[in-house]
Amino acid sequence: MGTFKTENPGNQPVWVNTNNCKACDICVSVCPAGVLGMVYEPTSTLGAMISVQHPESCIGCMECELSCPDFAIFVAEKKEYKFAKLTDDSKERQIAIVANNYMSLEQKGAK
Amino acid sequence: MAFNYENYLRLEKVPTLWCWGCGDGVILKAFIRAVDKLGLNKDDVCVVSGIGCSGRFSSYIDFNTVHTTHGRTVAFATGIKLANPDKHVICVAGDGDALAIGGNHTIHGCRRNIDITMIVINNFIYGLTNSQTSPTTPQGMWTVSQKAGNIDPTFNATNLAIAAGASFVARESMIDPKKLEKIFVKAIEHKGFAFLDVLSNCHINLGRKNKMASAMENLAWIDNITVSKKKYDAMSEEERKNLLPTGILKEDTEAKEYCDMYAEIIKVHQGKRKILTQDDFEKKI
Repeated sequence: MGTFKTENPGNQPVWVNTNNCKACDICVSVCPAGVLGMVYEPTSTLGAMISVQHPESCIGCMECELSCPDFAIFVAEKKEYKFAKLTDDSKERQIAIVANNYMSLEQKGAK
Repeated sequence: MAFNYENYLRLEKVPTLWCWGCGDGVILKAFIRAVDKLGLNKDDVCVVSGIGCSGRFSSYIDFNTVHTTHGRTVAFATGIKLANPDKHVICVAGDGDALAIGGNHTIHGCRRNIDITMIVINNFIYGLTNSQTSPTTPQGMWTVSQKAGNIDPTFNATNLAIAAGASFVARESMIDPKKLEKIFVKAIEHKGFAFLDVLSNCHINLGRKNKMASAMENLAWIDNITVSKKKYDAMSEEERKNLLPTGILKEDTEAKEYCDMYAEIIKVHQGKRKILTQDDFEKKI
């Protein structure tokens, strides 16, 4: 039985459902602001799991939610949360995360 | 509160059986959002799917659904639509399902211009059965049935649909889910046969042997071979080679719809046939 978490877990811009995530990296690749990153997770089939690393940079563009094939990531509605503006810092972080094989910057090395 | 997908899914079947990063999930999501945008009642929509990875579509979605035999989606959908002209009937088929084994049904659905929305999830390979050449596999690509590179010429699904007489033909890829959602809304609203060629990824069965082993690499390849219709029209014949135009390629709102014509036929014949009563029988005897 699949579980859904469409309710906001408490004033968050973006939240994930780790029961549905298959660690395909698509959400990390489409994020413009370096909010998301993969972390090591030995129990997952691909050895990684999605995590929200920098929620304060989220601009609420919805790209991650729309591009997720597995109903595992949700973005708050515009009226519910005050999203940040896109900054150069977050853009650079996004480039670094993609270069780091979609892993969060704290997690060095290949998957 | 995010968008509530729970209303439209069979929760006991989720998570989906599709591979990680499969485009089918994105298309399913865009379709759910489009139906929600149109405000359709769940009982007024019927999703008909065939065999293949795309065939799982009808298992996850909580509308009236039919999981039919290989390639016969349009045949089943035509029957459903003629019996229920006020309902929305949506066919979901893969590229092998709609263009190879079901090619015949597809062209005759287009020809009749019956009010069905046909979504062809085109991932360029037979994914479920492990990488056999499909009608849309690009030439030169490795497949399990043509290991030295595919030599079969490639099918252009939208050109086929236009030539066969579909009144709404569009192509979109799953790279931009927002555009996909808009095109679904237009296709469902359109009265007549709506043919959608939705490009999707299969990095597992097509990508791994063709140097695009992750979903992102496969999507980058799809991005490279597609170009918007506006740009495509401005290109020379030489530049158009190996490129696919995206967007609405044909929209004809004037074309006569099959269910309307069928209703006229019903009117002509209604009341003409004499129904025999008990007295008539007795007279005959």
